[in-house]
Amino acid sequence: MRPAPAPLRVPGGAVPSRSFVGYFLSLPWPGMKQRCSTDLLSGLLFIAFGAFVLVYGLQYPFGTSARMGPGYYPRVVSIGLILVGLILTVRSRFIESEATEPLLVRPLFVVALATAGFGLLIERAGLFAAAVLLIVAARLADRDFRPLEVAALCVVLIAFATAVFWYGLSLPFPLLPF
Amino acid sequence: MEIFGNIAFGLSVAVSPSTLGYCFLGTLLGTMIGVLPGLGPVATISILLPLTFALPPQSAIIMLAGIYYGAQYGGSTTAILINLPGESSSVVTALDGYQMARQGRAGPALATAACSSFIAGTIATLVIASAAPALAEFALQFGPADYCALMIFGLVTAVILASGSVIKAIGMILVGILLGTVGIDVNTSVPRFTFHIPQFGDGIDFAVIAMGIFGIGETIANLTRSGEQRGYVRDYKGLMPTRRDFKIFLPPALRGTMLGTSLGILPGGGPVLAAFSAYSLEKKLAADPTRFGKGAIEGVAAPEAANNAAAQTSFIPLLTLGFPSNAVMALMVGALMMQGIHPGPQLITNKPELFWGLIASMWIGNMMLLVLNLPLVGLWAKLLTVPYRMLYPAILLICCIGVFSINKSTLDVLLAAMFGVVGFVLYRLGCEPAPLLLGFILGPMIEENMRRALLISQGDFSVFIERPISLSFLILTAILIMILVAPAVRAGRERALRES
Repeated sequence: MRPAPAPLRVPGGAVPSRSFVGYFLSLPWPGMKQRCSTDLLSGLLFIAFGAFVLVYGLQYPFGTSARMGPGYYPRVVSIGLILVGLILTVRSRFIESEATEPLLVRPLFVVALATAGFGLLIERAGLFAAAVLLIVAARLADRDFRPLEVAALCVVLIAFATAVFWYGLSLPFPLLPF
Repeated sequence: MEIFGNIAFGLSVAVSPSTLGYCFLGTLLGTMIGVLPGLGPVATISILLPLTFALPPQSAIIMLAGIYYGAQYGGSTTAILINLPGESSSVVTALDGYQMARQGRAGPALATAACSSFIAGTIATLVIASAAPALAEFALQFGPADYCALMIFGLVTAVILASGSVIKAIGMILVGILLGTVGIDVNTSVPRFTFHIPQFGDGIDFAVIAMGIFGIGETIANLTRSGEQRGYVRDYKGLMPTRRDFKIFLPPALRGTMLGTSLGILPGGGPVLAAFSAYSLEKKLAADPTRFGKGAIEGVAAPEAANNAAAQTSFIPLLTLGFPSNAVMALMVGALMMQGIHPGPQLITNKPELFWGLIASMWIGNMMLLVLNLPLVGLWAKLLTVPYRMLYPAILLICCIGVFSINKSTLDVLLAAMFGVVGFVLYRLGCEPAPLLLGFILGPMIEENMRRALLISQGDFSVFIERPISLSFLILTAILIMILVAPAVRAGRERALRES
């Protein structure tokens, strides 16, 4: 039942891009003159996600229509998602859709990592440390890093967050490590 | 009059110093975030949602309503001042509003938007107050099969009205539904897709998904966008419209209100559809249609009234059926559920203070916009000139604090970061994230009702066509799908989307 995802190895002739992931996404797909289309890639993502849910969900009993098991609904929906993914994938061969553009991955990773860092830090080190990490790290996503401005931003934002969220709305987070 | 008695009761709930304070704070923060380029109401509400968790249900909902109206208004402000609609429903406002602003009439344009929104809000509030109790009574007859059919109908309309590719929207809904299955299955107590993480037993918090995709994901998307130079309109002196302006914009505002009120009730409808229809109606009715797109005040008044009226009446299906008709309402359902309130036909009788309090606070929220926010237009316009590199750390910080505060959970923050990445990638692939949110909220409801319906009918699927209510929804759904597949309609839809 599990549909085989299209092979990820692709022939050369790619448009070079600044980053690895961007480079990867800008490679042409087999049999396609154009770069990988957004339809194809979203179709493949849908298929992959649907297939994962389908296979992982096999451990849950299916039941009958009258007495549905916990596996019934996820299985039906994931098959639907795989079908949608297949339609997109097949269609992308016949109807041209927008090509994927090279991706700027720096903001993507920096922002995601900064957020994750905040999450790991706030409980143990408190808001002050976590916020400084978040703001400084997030600003690294921008090519325009001005130390003084970032420092000022830290002070202002932490003061604002402390006043509104900690004092005003009494949200449950520590300010300092205990 | 019963309505007025009820509204008076609602006002008595809503008008206390603390609730007024929350309403004001909501409108203020909502406008502040909503005015930032690229953040529409869905993103704004997602970001600010956790701030309301610590509050009692009443105040939380009232603050959320304030945030919603603030965000709507913030979207129109950016549309008018920098031709950058913060949300799809103010795309139309940008057409004439920005032209007015360029002619030095930014003030009147903003005031027109606020005044017509207020007029629309007032009328729509009365409509809700009179229509909702009757509809709720009708909804009490709904069985599980009917609910199931209604939700499928709603999802199909939402897909058709979504901007962008229909098939991708369907895919996103299904992804949302699957994400919604995480957690302990209510009927059998089997933990599904929890990966042995105890916290997943209650499912993924919808605020985490909303904030990850709309807050963090959009921040990343904005950062990767090339820094476009936009023409800021700094000159907004002379805020108030003239008496002549008033005379011109009143009838379009009223027409827009009527259109918006009716379109807002439709499942899958809501502000976007209303604004577009109102604009084209005005263009048809105008003596000189060529003025539109060149700063016609009707072109601001009608869509703004329509989108506000629709924003308000889309609460009707939510409060009476427990059915969210668009992504914003899906957020509202999530927020209510986090407060332990399940919206549905029983809400009016079980929690009258909440129901009428909310309705009254909608109106108060609208008034706050007019009285307190309009004078602050200068401040909002200044906020627009702050470079993005100063703004996005603030947005991220608010998001992070919010996500963490939901459960005091590090895992939630990590998940939100992950959904941010996912949301960004999907966004770049042309997959609208709003249907995902709708699927995530509606998915579990569909499952529950489908299981109940089939349990009662002993697995016989004909229960869905035997009940008249369910059958009519399914027939409507079938008609919609047929219309969608018809080539002429498809061409028309594509043309309409291109024009927008």
